[in-house]
Amino acid sequence: MHEISLVRNILKTLEEEFPGRVERIRCIQLTAGLLSNVQPILMQNAFEAVLLEEPKYNKATLQVEVLPILVYCDDCDKTTEVVNYTFACSCGKPSKNIVQGEELLISKVEFEEEGQLINNQS
Amino acid sequence: MTTPKSNRAPVGSIQCENTTLNLLKANDFVAKVIRQRLTDMLVINICSSPGSGKTTLMQETGKLLKDKLNMAVLVGDPETERDAIRMREVGINALQIVTGGMCHIEAQMILQALDHINLEGVDVLFIENVGNLVCPAAFDLGEDYRVTVISSTEGDDKPKKYPRMFLTSELMLVSKADLLPYVPFSVEAVTKDARDINPDLEVMTVSSLKGDGLEQWCDWLKIKVREKKNKLVMSGAY
Repeated sequence: MHEISLVRNILKTLEEEFPGRVERIRCIQLTAGLLSNVQPILMQNAFEAVLLEEPKYNKATLQVEVLPILVYCDDCDKTTEVVNYTFACSCGKPSKNIVQGEELLISKVEFEEEGQLINNQS
Repeated sequence: MTTPKSNRAPVGSIQCENTTLNLLKANDFVAKVIRQRLTDMLVINICSSPGSGKTTLMQETGKLLKDKLNMAVLVGDPETERDAIRMREVGINALQIVTGGMCHIEAQMILQALDHINLEGVDVLFIENVGNLVCPAAFDLGEDYRVTVISSTEGDDKPKKYPRMFLTSELMLVSKADLLPYVPFSVEAVTKDARDINPDLEVMTVSSLKGDGLEQWCDWLKIKVREKKNKLVMSGAY
């Protein structure tokens, strides 16, 4: 996988979404479906490598949550976890109706709150 | 704990924002633009491992379709122009996308390439992706169909190893079929594994060198081109 470019993509997305606030980011939570092929340990390594050239994020940590694949079955009206990449309901009916497992998103960002100004002098 | 700035009170409280920031949204946005632009031609994204015979398949497809369909190819490789040269040698309108080491093509590269290739009158545009069964699976290039090529020499265990590619494809082409008698590759087993992942997947076997199965593949293309053009007529664009 292309972890380094994904990490750069994360930082770019955060800069667009939270202009002027990225220095206060302390924790970034990434939610990755199993189908996104994201390996948490490799993402951590890439994150640390990119941070060496992006000092404004050096107080931030990355958490990667991997979600299993779930498919929905019309007949049973229920979702089943896909095991061993067999895309089928527990009733045996094949299903490509994936309700979870393809996502790759920043699901939570934690900021350190701005300290209160003690006086008006800057 | 961080050291607070001198004019600020000690910090420590954390503010949380729950988000749903999709990391591929930029690519998906560009893919949508490509789809809106290429309404009058069939767009096929060809994916596979390196060396499965994508370029040879393109060469032979070009020869067979010469008088029937007007085709063009955008071919991606980390380095060199070699594949585009190979295709031009047999008269195919081809443009090389050199990804500069990148393991996949992104939609932005296709959008830029569209300005450098003459697509007037083209019926089918192939995007020959970088040889890689992992990363290209995650990148929508604005294609109508994704075709995954798996050669008989690379082993029939690929679908379960690289599920997302087979999940997101509409057609699996087993290539180098002329070697099937000599290698431990079961078309039946690979089809079963691939359909475990994607029950709707179509499967064909082809030999670009001997010609077996190419007619069926070209017929499939002709049908899909016709369907795409009919859709355009139905939408009232003509």
